[in-house]
Amino acid sequence: MSDTKNDTPDNAVGDPEVQDDNIVSDTVKEAGAIVKDHLSDDHDHRDAHDEFGHTPVDEHDSHPGAHHTSLGLSNTKLAMWLFLGSECLLFGGLISTYMLYRNRHSEGVGPDQLWDIPFTSASSFVLLMSSLTMVLAVSAANRRDDRNTKLWLVVTATLGGLFVAGQVYEFTTFYREGLGYTESLFASSFYTLTGFHGVHVSVGIIMLMATMGMVAKNKISGDKAETVEMVGLYWHFVDVIWIIIFTLVYLIPA
Amino acid sequence: MAIIERPASDTLTYSDMDAAVTATSSYGYLRRPVETTGWRSWAFTVDHKKIGIMYGVAAMVFFVIGGLEAGLIRLQLAGPEGTVLSADKYNQMFTMHATTMVFLFVMPMAAAFANYFIPLQIGARDVAFPRLNALSFWVFIFGGVFLNTSWFLGGGADGGWFMYAPNSDTPFSPSNGVDFWGLGLQIVGIASLVGAINLITTVLNMRAPGMSLMKMPIFTWMAFVTQMLLLFAIPVITVALFLLMFQRSYDATFFSVEAGADPLLWQHLFWIFGHPEVYIIVLPSFGIISEVLPVFSKKPLFGYPFVVFSGAAIGFVGWGVWAHHMFASGLGPISVAVFSVSTMAIAVPTGVKIINWTLTMWGGKLWFTTAMLFAVGLIVNFTIGGLSGVTHAVAPSDTQQTDTYYIVAHFHYVIFGGGVLGLFAGFYYWWPKIFGKCLNERLGKWNFWLMMIGMNMTFGPMHIIGLQGQPRRMYQWTEARAGEGFFNLGFWNLVATIGTFILGVGILVFLYNAIFQHRKEPAAPIDPWDARSLEWLTTSPPKPHNFDRTPTVHALDEVFHRKYEDVGEGDQHEYVLRTSLEDLVLEEERHADAHIHLPAPSYWPIVLAFALPIMAYGVIYTAWLIALGAAIAIAAMFGWALEPADAEPSDFDPPATGGESSSKELANV
Amino acid sequence: MRDSETGTSLTDVNLPNARGRTMGFAALAAAGLFVAGCAQNAPQDTTDPAGESAQMIYDLSWPIFAIAGIVGVLVISVITFVVIRDRDRGQPIPEQTHGKPILEIGLTILPALILIGVAIPTVGTLMALNDYDDTECVVNVTGQQWWWEFDYPVQDGCGGITEPIVTSGQMVIPADTDVLIRGTSRDVIHSFWIPRLNGKRDMVPGRVHSLKMQADEPGIYAGQCAEFCGLSHANMRMEVVALNDGDFETWKANQLEDYESPIGEQALAGEAAFVANCSRCHQVDGITDADGVPIVSRPDLQVYPGAAPNLTNLMTRNTFAGASWDLIDQDRRDEVWNADPDEFGALYLAGVEDSWFNEIDLREWLRNAPLKKPMYADPLQLDETDGLYRGMPNLALSEDQIDDLLAYLLELK
Repeated sequence: MSDTKNDTPDNAVGDPEVQDDNIVSDTVKEAGAIVKDHLSDDHDHRDAHDEFGHTPVDEHDSHPGAHHTSLGLSNTKLAMWLFLGSECLLFGGLISTYMLYRNRHSEGVGPDQLWDIPFTSASSFVLLMSSLTMVLAVSAANRRDDRNTKLWLVVTATLGGLFVAGQVYEFTTFYREGLGYTESLFASSFYTLTGFHGVHVSVGIIMLMATMGMVAKNKISGDKAETVEMVGLYWHFVDVIWIIIFTLVYLIPA
Repeated sequence: MAIIERPASDTLTYSDMDAAVTATSSYGYLRRPVETTGWRSWAFTVDHKKIGIMYGVAAMVFFVIGGLEAGLIRLQLAGPEGTVLSADKYNQMFTMHATTMVFLFVMPMAAAFANYFIPLQIGARDVAFPRLNALSFWVFIFGGVFLNTSWFLGGGADGGWFMYAPNSDTPFSPSNGVDFWGLGLQIVGIASLVGAINLITTVLNMRAPGMSLMKMPIFTWMAFVTQMLLLFAIPVITVALFLLMFQRSYDATFFSVEAGADPLLWQHLFWIFGHPEVYIIVLPSFGIISEVLPVFSKKPLFGYPFVVFSGAAIGFVGWGVWAHHMFASGLGPISVAVFSVSTMAIAVPTGVKIINWTLTMWGGKLWFTTAMLFAVGLIVNFTIGGLSGVTHAVAPSDTQQTDTYYIVAHFHYVIFGGGVLGLFAGFYYWWPKIFGKCLNERLGKWNFWLMMIGMNMTFGPMHIIGLQGQPRRMYQWTEARAGEGFFNLGFWNLVATIGTFILGVGILVFLYNAIFQHRKEPAAPIDPWDARSLEWLTTSPPKPHNFDRTPTVHALDEVFHRKYEDVGEGDQHEYVLRTSLEDLVLEEERHADAHIHLPAPSYWPIVLAFALPIMAYGVIYTAWLIALGAAIAIAAMFGWALEPADAEPSDFDPPATGGESSSKELANV
Repeated sequence: MRDSETGTSLTDVNLPNARGRTMGFAALAAAGLFVAGCAQNAPQDTTDPAGESAQMIYDLSWPIFAIAGIVGVLVISVITFVVIRDRDRGQPIPEQTHGKPILEIGLTILPALILIGVAIPTVGTLMALNDYDDTECVVNVTGQQWWWEFDYPVQDGCGGITEPIVTSGQMVIPADTDVLIRGTSRDVIHSFWIPRLNGKRDMVPGRVHSLKMQADEPGIYAGQCAEFCGLSHANMRMEVVALNDGDFETWKANQLEDYESPIGEQALAGEAAFVANCSRCHQVDGITDADGVPIVSRPDLQVYPGAAPNLTNLMTRNTFAGASWDLIDQDRRDEVWNADPDEFGALYLAGVEDSWFNEIDLREWLRNAPLKKPMYADPLQLDETDGLYRGMPNLALSEDQIDDLLAYLLELK
């Protein structure tokens, strides 16, 4: 969501409702009110609910040009959260498949023979650290410190790249040890799960680099800090998923 | 998102309302496609209303295709040992019939209504992400067409829409049909997912001032729940489809039993998606008739919060009942018992809806337009479907009924009775809003009664056929197993086939009404039904920017309360028309907002969508097509990302005279 | 699968049989009509139980049908009433009320209560149906595209079986005996379903699923594969034949008799033709080659998944090719299917005789099997199936060979 810079005051007129911090409880409260309203046999609908209307706050977030939204959360951020919610189910399905098939492999090419826990722990640590640098990038962006934003974005992308490189190395090793992806149920589901995750990290790296480039060239049409934050959301999500995968796939003995 | 600002000076003049905007020809091909007429104005539009109409037209085309497939199936089964279709063609036919009807008709038709009416009902100018909206539509179209090209490339999928493993694996389904099916549904799934994110954001974020969630029109609510279900159901089926594709096209192993696979994995993944899918199909229609019934009863929806929360409850509990499709799969008695009970539990919120619809009509002032007839028809038929559903929520009973025609009867009463009739109610109710003309009511009644009789003649006898032991998905039935008494299969199969053709005639009447008759109808009044909700607070058809002034909402049924005043005293109520809708709309025009943001059209959605089927053909045939598709997709994404927020002044003909604003009006306002 | 403890205890409380019936009779004339109308219905009628499990299911489900029917009639009557009473006759605009919450809550609780009433017996019956402790006889059932194989392992049950018996198409069981079916599949998922004896159970490759089957009286009970299993799903049928104990012993003894080559000249020629053309896939127990070495069928690896029906004693069965066609003619079939329970055993054990042999279908089958029953067996299209046959290919036999084979097959009993 981007916007023109010349948002005029006219646009703000008649926006009584902006911040809606607790939408769920408000909704429940309001439903209760409708019920109560009928219990007390009060049918004046035109004004009955105004007391539950939301405080008119003319607050266009902290940055200029933001669009007014009912939740006070920007559209893109909300959409990103929804997307990540959907992604949870995607990884849920893949993880379930893997957990079902983790023991179905031929002799000698199962997790116990293949895993190199110290190596994967190291690459997991690298990915974890990239979340930290991502936080630093977001905080720099919030301070409108372009230089540090760019720096930390690059560092994050580099750490992510290291992780992906580690994964490629790992895949190659496994393949040499006889674990082609068509080899067994375990192999297929392992490569699918970690492969999907790897693709997510790679997409994240592209997003980080693109954001970095856009920050550098001042091409971001909306709010810079928010764009960085969005990429950050995605990045943290991918990290969290990895922690789950690492625990379930590598740490819990088959 | 591109937001275009309309100069203030234009707002008061409507004389040039229909002046077409054309693109200049002297600039590079990347200028924005700003035309407001001709095919470009449709292909590159990001207007939720145009996209909604295109969704509707496309879905209707697929409805006709799916209907023809159904007709062939019923012809084949009209008598014993049918020879209309070969076994192979028959298997393809029922697979594609179900796939087409579910994914390419009911879902996109519901998306058409959601697209068109959610922004109007919540007082927004468009959806949250107009370009993504266009992307959803085009991805859906290309996915649907891709899926149907399989007919010409070696035959459609033949494993049933549930595509159970391992029957879907290459040794058992050697043609490319299943590949087309899996890839096509992945593409269509992307469309649904993008659409879901877009519409949920729209509903949560774009509501007009004063429209709290509990003042939202009920259709928007139900569409919202539907989109939430899609958001979480689509990724699950995507995983299943991906695994299937990976196995069939790239030799991975997920479902081959020789390798030790468990065929029940597919069933779980499929039905975790598949059951919420049922609610995805019916909830939008429930929303539509929950709009239609109050309007034609002149009463608010009875128990609005109960209807809302029962919809949400269905949305939640719908996730915990998937294994009731697997009562005969051998899950073990404990799981079966749990899912049996949870399935009964979901009948409660469903029952609440039926009760509320009935009580909405109770004591009303009922006006039987075609839309109302379809709504009442839905209640009746859905009640039958719901109750037959309860009979096989009882797991032991279900082991006799599952995979027989009894189930076919049940889900057609639910999907056709509960889903499609609601969509037809929506056509008749909202047609004047969308096109400014009503559908012919006399033809409408013919349409309704033919469909009603046809559907009950088609699906009613299937209860009998099923209880008499005729399994589904058999390309032939035999006299030897048909019986002789009153309930013999021969007679009732024939009745069902005749019913199908009556149903088909009913739909033809609708198509005639919609395509030909509707042109001859006079312009509809602005408020033909004395409507109640916000989408009517504008002209018909609505202006590109929907509302001249962003409405401020005070009540549920906002438009009714703006029109009528209660002059009664105490417990006595007397409603008098205070202001007509014409006057209300004129009033809005007089106070039109000075600056109206409208998104600019874009080439990129259709280009990006086009890349997907190319990649899919690549998966089936040759890898270089994948590379080509990926290249197009990446180019489109870059184009999309770099597309300026506004159309350049030079994109217009004549080029816009730049002021301090770099933007310019785009729509024909 | 076994849950005997809870299973038994719940069985005792479930099924308010007598009470339910008294209540129901008055309540639903329609259901009565339905039941009455079913007397001469289709052989796969689900509302005509003939065994304990099917009876339990039926006793559970018909009151639910009745309740559903009553609710349906009530709802539709109310709607009809409202539609007639409240249609627009110029009455004033009604009160704009969102309803009465107390009514709402009441109308929510009511269906919930009904459903709780339905849920309790459901769970009870479910547990009882899955209690296999008292079964006395085991039959292994294997589904394959598109026929069923039944094998009787060596056991003390079934009156004692000393050598395995393998048959297909028709499963013979002792009447009034609880038979445990252990089923699986060799290729895709099939579903074993004899509607008058029990509900269906999917037979899944790689898994063994159990099902209890018991027939109250001798007779023949029709069934059909109920899970879509590919091209010829419609032609995958099976029948359960229940015999009283004496007849069952006779049947067993006959199945285990030693093989003897036929005497007639044509039948001998047929045996040779069988060895040459059929024995690669189809086993006939005891048949030997010229040197007296037993011939064991080793199905061509190209036949997916590597097995074909065992034809030993073929003519003791009434059907062939996935129980889709009869080996007996129509009159004889009617006689067998409609026989009294007392006379059924003798009629069935008579098998197929010249005088009622249905030669036509078997001849057509031998002439070109995939034409009669759709199968992936066209040699020209095998590239589509990775070279695998599924089902019987066209053997291009001459009419003379077919005559010989028919003469030979008729001796297999």
